Amino acid sequence: MSSQSPMIKTRKPGERIFCFLLVLGSVYLFWQAYNISGFSSLSSPGAFPLAASAAMVLASCVTFLNTLKLPAAKDVSFAYHCFPPVIATIMALILIYSVVLESLGFILTSFAFLFISIQFLYRRSPLITLAITLFALIVVYIIFRLVFQVVLPEGIVPEREILSSIKSLWR
Amino acid sequence: MDAFNYFAMSWLSPELLGLTALGTFLGIYVGAIPGLSVTMAVSILISFTFSWDVNYALCLMVGVYMGGVYGGSRTAILLNIPGAPSAIATALDGYPLAKKGLAGEAIGLSTIMSVVGGFVGIIVLAIAAPTVSEFAITFQPRDYMMLGILGIMLVGSLSGSSLARGIFAGALGLLIGTVGLDPMTAEERFTFGVVELWDGINPVAVMIGMFGISEALHQLHHMNKAVIKQKISRIIPKWSDIKKYMPLSLQTSFIGVIVGALPGTGGDIAALMAYDHAKRITKNPKVPFGEGAKEGLIAPESANNAAVGGAYIPMLTLGIPGDAVTAVFIGALFIHGLNPGPLLLVEQPHMFWFTVGNLTLANIFVLIFGLTGIRLFSKIVECPKGILIPLIFLLSIVGAYAINNAITDIWWMLAFGVFGYFMRLYNFPVGPVILGVILSSLTDENWRRAILSERGNIGDLFISLFHSPLSTVLFSVIVLILFTQSPLWTKWLKRKFFR
Repeated sequence: MSSQSPMIKTRKPGERIFCFLLVLGSVYLFWQAYNISGFSSLSSPGAFPLAASAAMVLASCVTFLNTLKLPAAKDVSFAYHCFPPVIATIMALILIYSVVLESLGFILTSFAFLFISIQFLYRRSPLITLAITLFALIVVYIIFRLVFQVVLPEGIVPEREILSSIKSLWR
Repeated sequence: MDAFNYFAMSWLSPELLGLTALGTFLGIYVGAIPGLSVTMAVSILISFTFSWDVNYALCLMVGVYMGGVYGGSRTAILLNIPGAPSAIATALDGYPLAKKGLAGEAIGLSTIMSVVGGFVGIIVLAIAAPTVSEFAITFQPRDYMMLGILGIMLVGSLSGSSLARGIFAGALGLLIGTVGLDPMTAEERFTFGVVELWDGINPVAVMIGMFGISEALHQLHHMNKAVIKQKISRIIPKWSDIKKYMPLSLQTSFIGVIVGALPGTGGDIAALMAYDHAKRITKNPKVPFGEGAKEGLIAPESANNAAVGGAYIPMLTLGIPGDAVTAVFIGALFIHGLNPGPLLLVEQPHMFWFTVGNLTLANIFVLIFGLTGIRLFSKIVECPKGILIPLIFLLSIVGAYAINNAITDIWWMLAFGVFGYFMRLYNFPVGPVILGVILSSLTDENWRRAILSERGNIGDLFISLFHSPLSTVLFSVIVLILFTQSPLWTKWLKRKFFR
């Protein structure tokens, strides 16, 4: 479900800076597009990127100018309404998870990520969080690793050895 | 006979049958749970299923799509929260019905009429697509170029309140699609000297970032929103009601399939137009519209499911997406080595009949799952966001990694996820970005072929548009769509439908 608000009546905190950064980014991309083959011909490799980046420059300028005209929203702060601590924390957790995923492996990192983020967002007793985390991780692992055969980073957990020893129990 | 064999393929193979059932089941819940979208689910699924046999992957994704369109109505009726944009019109009369203690009846009726709509859409797809495709084989590069432009013009309908923001997002998508080595001259474009960028940015990473990560991050703003639950009574609707409302359902299904087939319009517009049609032709409704009129529930539900079959016509025959979901779907077909467009029905007719058969099967599963398991449904829909959101992040990250078993794709996904979060925050639509990525190469390559065939003269290219009836028609459609996306038309439409 889309969560975009239907009407823009006021300017959110940080919106002006965001739109300005988009203008700067678009101009930079236009310059990069120009560097591909300049204005040499309409069929050159750079023609289409030039047109797309020119549209970006124009659209971002119009958006920036429109944003300047809007009155700032009252009683709304960037740190509370736009980038609240909960989002900053979750973004940091995702970043850490992605950094250590390959070295530590899917099982360990996913367990830690799920446990910490569920505890942080759901705020129940650690035992309940642990049970939910284990259940979710086992389901995800069975579905994606064992049923769908998706290759996931092993890291420091000797996953293949564990799996083969479990299989040997059934033989 | 061959066509029938391919049609029945997913019905006769237990694995394909099971995957279609699983997909439809998942789709209903994905569509119903506010915060999850079919676009998000299909994006994540692509990464997990791209190494599968194409038939298996298609069964799962078709099921999710068909189930998801229907699933949106459930929460629209029960919670007054449309699970998908196509269920917005459903909430207008569905929720008042639920408040009167008729939630079960409303769900039952909407299920039956959604399935009727679904069948109408599939029948029209089966009849119309081969004809459209035969016609489309004669396309010249300039026609393909105009098809690309037609698709890009969808940004108007995906832009929400600001066209400039939509254009920015669409152009960004087009630019992302050009990253890497130019397919015609092998010249580097936006690679910044990085060898890893020669192959371009994986569209799946962009999709998961834009629809998975950014949407889940955005949902963190609404963690404490409480929902009001409704009591559910009998689900199976009365036979007399089905008979009474069948003509309206069929009429609005045809509206749905036509609207769905038009590039730039999807299930949401089809549902709103069908609602308006029901309002106009129902002279003396038992209950006024907006207060629980069954006609107001049946019309949008028949139309939005019929629009699925309609949306498949331009998607399979012309390679043009109808909305963000079909844009992602086209991406999925490309990843599985299929080439949706005029040649699909010529080179791989079996895939077309397989898809038609699979859509029919998924529609039957909508009926089965729609009328059963309501208790389980209530439990799953009430799953706290504190558990659901971390799981979406986990699946998105693992999904991005699974594309190439490379951490680089995770970085791209995260970058687009965070950027997409700020785009949503400041009312920039993310749908056009995906649309741009999907249509970038089609438009770029055919523009260059078209201009080369006219020796680089843009004036000659313009004149050539009037040499062939097909090009003239396509050009006229572009002009017509430009007009319908003008502020004048939008104002008229708003006055007409929201008065």
